[in-house]
Amino acid sequence: MGNAFFVVWRESLEAFLIAGILFAWLQANDSSGRGKRALVAGLAAGVGLALALGWALVGVQDELTGDALEAFQVGMLLVAAALIAQMVLWMRKHGRQIKARLHADLSQAAQRTGFLGVAVVAALAVAREGAETVIFLYGLSQEGRIADLFIGTISGFFGAALTAWVATRGLRRLSISLLLRVSSILLLVLASALLVTATDRMIGTGWIPALVDPLWDTSLLIDDGSEAGKLFANFSGYRARPALSVLLAWLAYWAVVLVGWRRTSHG
Amino acid sequence: MHQGPLMPHRRRPDSLWLTVGIAALALLLSLNSVPAHADDMPTIQLLMKDGRLFPETLEVPANTRFRLQIRNEGPGAAEFESLELRKETVLAPGVTRALVFHPMKPGTYKFFDDFHPETAQGRIVAK
Repeated sequence: MGNAFFVVWRESLEAFLIAGILFAWLQANDSSGRGKRALVAGLAAGVGLALALGWALVGVQDELTGDALEAFQVGMLLVAAALIAQMVLWMRKHGRQIKARLHADLSQAAQRTGFLGVAVVAALAVAREGAETVIFLYGLSQEGRIADLFIGTISGFFGAALTAWVATRGLRRLSISLLLRVSSILLLVLASALLVTATDRMIGTGWIPALVDPLWDTSLLIDDGSEAGKLFANFSGYRARPALSVLLAWLAYWAVVLVGWRRTSHG
Repeated sequence: MHQGPLMPHRRRPDSLWLTVGIAALALLLSLNSVPAHADDMPTIQLLMKDGRLFPETLEVPANTRFRLQIRNEGPGAAEFESLELRKETVLAPGVTRALVFHPMKPGTYKFFDDFHPETAQGRIVAK
């Protein structure tokens, strides 16, 4: 039971945190409520996608299909990272115009596409870790641990939702302009972490070279192998033993984002 | 709808689709570069069962590509994970999966079952 709770909690925490930050970010950007509806629709679509992906992973035995699914998961990470960065920067540029409602038509057209991004990001966040949870829960049902399955699932989801709510509570207390800035930065950091994970996985499968591996070792400082360290690594993109190509991908990402950030500050 | 003054701002959908397009392209490329499987690769077996690993220490040749065939006999699901080796794969009960490892330097690399981290800690020793 303890194990079921912990696995479900850990696997769903990331999705809830992303949802929480997106929610806070929408709070600062959009007063129409349509963004939040897009967020909920995206989360629901993510659950469906997680079930489909989990089902596909249960059946997979051979290497080739395994590789294709790995590629699909890496693709999801890259799409999510690119969409988050693009969405945040775009909103930074146009947020003020939308708020001022100078062009009613523009704000409607813009909101539609902007919120499509929110929905896609939310769906990908849920689907990614959700697929693993689906397999874990399927395993419990095969073991016949039905009580664990239900109690673990419900307490795990509830625990993760509560953790995310507490963690983003501080955010919602900020003034609107500060909230916008902080939630934007959090989302950009999160996108960088997704990119780092994708790069790591591509090195693991041999699709890209590691170049120098590892470049350094800071596991004595923060060990990304420990539970807490892993959680931190998942959100910040921190690696105790990064490969050079991971560092390069990370630097390229921040270079692009910083240029975009500067450009939109007076846009 | 007043098209005229709004046109300059209409670039948003394009840039969204451009991003999605680039990502989809990257996905396609990665699908295409799935490596062919050489049959002369040594295959090493790992059994995951009831939250335990058999054997807990895997000896593998250093500087050589090899295949790790992982079988999860259940009863529950298992997740083979190694941060140092950048591998992560979830196995439903009764599933066998093979992972190809790229040549690694001599040394010891940790791995574990992320669904049973208290009992399933193993290491790969490359010699």
